[in-house]
Amino acid sequence: MNLELLRLNLQFNPYHLVPQSPWPILVSFSLLAYTQSGVMFMHGYPYGGALLTLGFILTTFGMVLWFRDIIKEATFEGAHTTQVQNGLVIGFVLFIVSEAFAFLSIFWAFFHSALSPAIEIGGCWPPQGITALNPFAIPLLNTILLLSSGAFVTYGHHALLQGNRKGAISGTLITVVLAIIFTALQGYEYAQAPFTIADSVFGSAFFCSTGLHGLHVIIGTLFILVGLFRIINYHFTTKHHLGYEASILYWHFVDVVWLFLFIAIYYWGSN
Amino acid sequence: MSEDLSSKYILQTAGFDARFPNTNQTRHCFQNYTDYFKCIAAKGEDFAPCKQFKRAYNSLCPNEWIAKWDDQRENGNFPASLEP
Repeated sequence: MNLELLRLNLQFNPYHLVPQSPWPILVSFSLLAYTQSGVMFMHGYPYGGALLTLGFILTTFGMVLWFRDIIKEATFEGAHTTQVQNGLVIGFVLFIVSEAFAFLSIFWAFFHSALSPAIEIGGCWPPQGITALNPFAIPLLNTILLLSSGAFVTYGHHALLQGNRKGAISGTLITVVLAIIFTALQGYEYAQAPFTIADSVFGSAFFCSTGLHGLHVIIGTLFILVGLFRIINYHFTTKHHLGYEASILYWHFVDVVWLFLFIAIYYWGSN
Repeated sequence: MSEDLSSKYILQTAGFDARFPNTNQTRHCFQNYTDYFKCIAAKGEDFAPCKQFKRAYNSLCPNEWIAKWDDQRENGNFPASLEP
């Protein structure tokens, strides 16, 4: 709060008037290249793979440089006042809501196909000839892993709130480790699955839903990893650590989506 | 002549089946098709009650669907189990 009072001596409003930045337009074009080359790659166009790699590198670099600027403004220039943090929280919550609706549409597609299976797939779910995965093997283990990672991130958060540096670092680190084990197990299950994304609407619904979730797990892991990096580098105070809290919210969202996936697609959808 | 035919053949379509109350009778047709082949697999082609399934699917299903499914059964890629 002292920093904010100090800042008010230099600026008479609490708002963050962002300076000119090259990153929005660069990331826009990077994402355009990334998605277009993604389509090119998946349809076997020449140089699709090379352009996709370029799109990935450009997007990643653009995001890293942009977020570096945000950290500079927030942590080292004090631009994220209480008022600005309020706006960031609202923005992030709305982002999570939009994500929830993205997953809703995928679940809608799944239930559309599974609740009234078409005769072309034998009128049953899973379709005739498809062997679904056993939900009580790796998927149940993954449920336990994600739920306990949620518990550990709560521990890390409360440790941070109480100024317990060691607890914050260890809690967050264990969260990241559990997340990586989850992703590895999902990768193993994908490699071992007796069906592919091309095996009827079952394969499409399964890999689109669990794949979108897996992508979110990877992004969430990186998000929490950035939080861990910033705890280690003393970026956070017990009062001001919005990026970390946003990553926790994101992680819980990914966790809840997994519970729905586990119940609907792995358990209900397997017999 | 026409009197001879009408006395020889009874013209009738499949009746209402409470399992398929919708206007769209696709599933009704498909169910009778699979039931017929399950029935003859269990009881043999000459078993008279199986004929009811055949009459039902021939009345409900478009001929091209029947032709497609017959091909699929021959090729072993019919999308439902026909084991009794």
